[in-house]
Amino acid sequence: MAVESNVVDAAGPYDRAKALSAFKLGDLTFYWITRLSAISVLLILGGIIISLIVGAFPAMKEYGLSFLWTQRWAPSADPPVLGALGPMYGTLVTSFIAMLIAIPVGLGIAIFLTELCPQWLRRPIGMAVELLAGIPSIIYGMWGFFVLGPFLANTFQPFMIRIFDGVPVLGAIFAGPPSYLSLFNAALILAIMVLPFITSISVDVFKTVPPVLKEAAYGVGCTTWEVVRSVVIPYTRVGIIGGVMLALGRALGETMAVTFIIGNSFRISSSIFAPGTTISAAIASEFAESDGLHQSGLILLGLLLFVLTFFVLAAARLMLLRLEKKAGK
Amino acid sequence: MTDLSVSVSANGHLASQQPLPEAPAKVTVRNLNFYYGEHHALKNINLTLGTNRVTAFIGPSGCGKSTLLRIFNRMYDLYPGQRVTGQLMLDQTNILDPKLDLNLLRARVGMVFQKPTPFPMTIYENIAFGIRLYEKISKSEMDDRVEKALRGGALWNEVKDKLNASGLSLSGGQQQRLCIARTVAVRPEVILFDEPCSALDPISTAKVEELIQELSENYTIAIVTHNMQQAARVSDKTAFMYLGELIEFDDTSKIFTSPTDRRTQDYITGRFG
Repeated sequence: MAVESNVVDAAGPYDRAKALSAFKLGDLTFYWITRLSAISVLLILGGIIISLIVGAFPAMKEYGLSFLWTQRWAPSADPPVLGALGPMYGTLVTSFIAMLIAIPVGLGIAIFLTELCPQWLRRPIGMAVELLAGIPSIIYGMWGFFVLGPFLANTFQPFMIRIFDGVPVLGAIFAGPPSYLSLFNAALILAIMVLPFITSISVDVFKTVPPVLKEAAYGVGCTTWEVVRSVVIPYTRVGIIGGVMLALGRALGETMAVTFIIGNSFRISSSIFAPGTTISAAIASEFAESDGLHQSGLILLGLLLFVLTFFVLAAARLMLLRLEKKAGK
Repeated sequence: MTDLSVSVSANGHLASQQPLPEAPAKVTVRNLNFYYGEHHALKNINLTLGTNRVTAFIGPSGCGKSTLLRIFNRMYDLYPGQRVTGQLMLDQTNILDPKLDLNLLRARVGMVFQKPTPFPMTIYENIAFGIRLYEKISKSEMDDRVEKALRGGALWNEVKDKLNASGLSLSGGQQQRLCIARTVAVRPEVILFDEPCSALDPISTAKVEELIQELSENYTIAIVTHNMQQAARVSDKTAFMYLGELIEFDDTSKIFTSPTDRRTQDYITGRFG
């Protein structure tokens, strides 16, 4: 303290101690503002979980675990019979197919943009991808309804049926009467919607690969494909998986476009061209007219989606850890 | 003229230096010009790299030495807007032939970079990766080749117990020797070193220099360096470049004891650069 006051004296007419205490106050305020912001995330998350559980409690008490494997959904029966199997199946299947399509295409676009694309083509393609992310989901829904649905029902499905008719498993997957509204239609729309996430994150992480590392790979005689497969993707896998997870989270929860085109059928069909439903689509289309146990059941569906998403993200983390161990990090 | 500040080390080439017999040319450069877009970066370069000789390239930053090196394996091809004119032969192969298979060329002309660049995989895979591109060989043969390459990179004793650790877990000097081993594993004919020691500590530098000397028994070597003692220690021939021109190219002993060009003398005595 003594030293400090000496310094202040030496500094002349300014009251440095006072200025310092003002800093201190500012620092303290800053610390608390950032801290409260961080804590608020926990509070909001906790609040959402609690209110979901409270809202879902009557349904949980009524149906118990059988909610998970009951396919029947009859809210107007007395008493209502509710089961989540249909929406859960629809959610997982549409997201799975969407990722199956979006991951290779999205990575392909990213690789083309960063490694192969001539300079003049880079901006137009990059911008088109970003614009895809900016299209409101209801527009995707309408497009799926008016354009993609008829095409799938009238052209694509008959084609697939002709190829796979009689093949044991595949035949069943593509069978059924043509319908504009189907799981596959929703999955395709989801794939298009999540594509920009995968592409733009992959492009960003691909750009972080040091040029000299790529040159070294070219230097031992790699082709572009070998460089991408053995150097670029392993080097950036954490970022890529992060992008994929973000996309998957979006696909699992996407509501509007899916509600438009999935057909809202709680029956599980082996065919991906049959109508189905997802958790979020079921909630969106029924919540307004629901009450009592029905509403509680819908809230329980929401809670399930929450848990489902959580498990998917946890599984992704686990996979990442395994990968890192395997790479000897 | 004889009072030059570069001391000639006792264990280097120069100590025993009689003018080396001329080696047969491995790489021949004739009237080579290079452009980065509009910028004329290399002007009318003429020189030859002798077979199994070490040729050092010295000169101030931006004089074009690294650029020249990157032409030898067509690395500049990765970037648009860079072009080259003139003639560049590797034995009887025209390196500048647009139809040349670049992957094959780069297998014949290996490169070690300024910063160590281990691939994001295990130590074993770092070596095996390059071999696998060209050869289908059995696991035991591959083990042999990997060991031989790591011995060639003077790294075997340090890593033989942790071949499955990540290449990135090694120290900087070890990483650089891993990169050299990786380059050697592909059995190139020419090895290009682009300031291979500038990111290394003195002990690692000494190891790498020793390695370069050993490698010169079997490979033709070109090395770019900012360290003139290093050039004096490891090379048989030295090329001094300045502002994109080749000012002087001669036996290393001659360049460092009695250079003919005023600019060479100024540079190696530290008057500029």
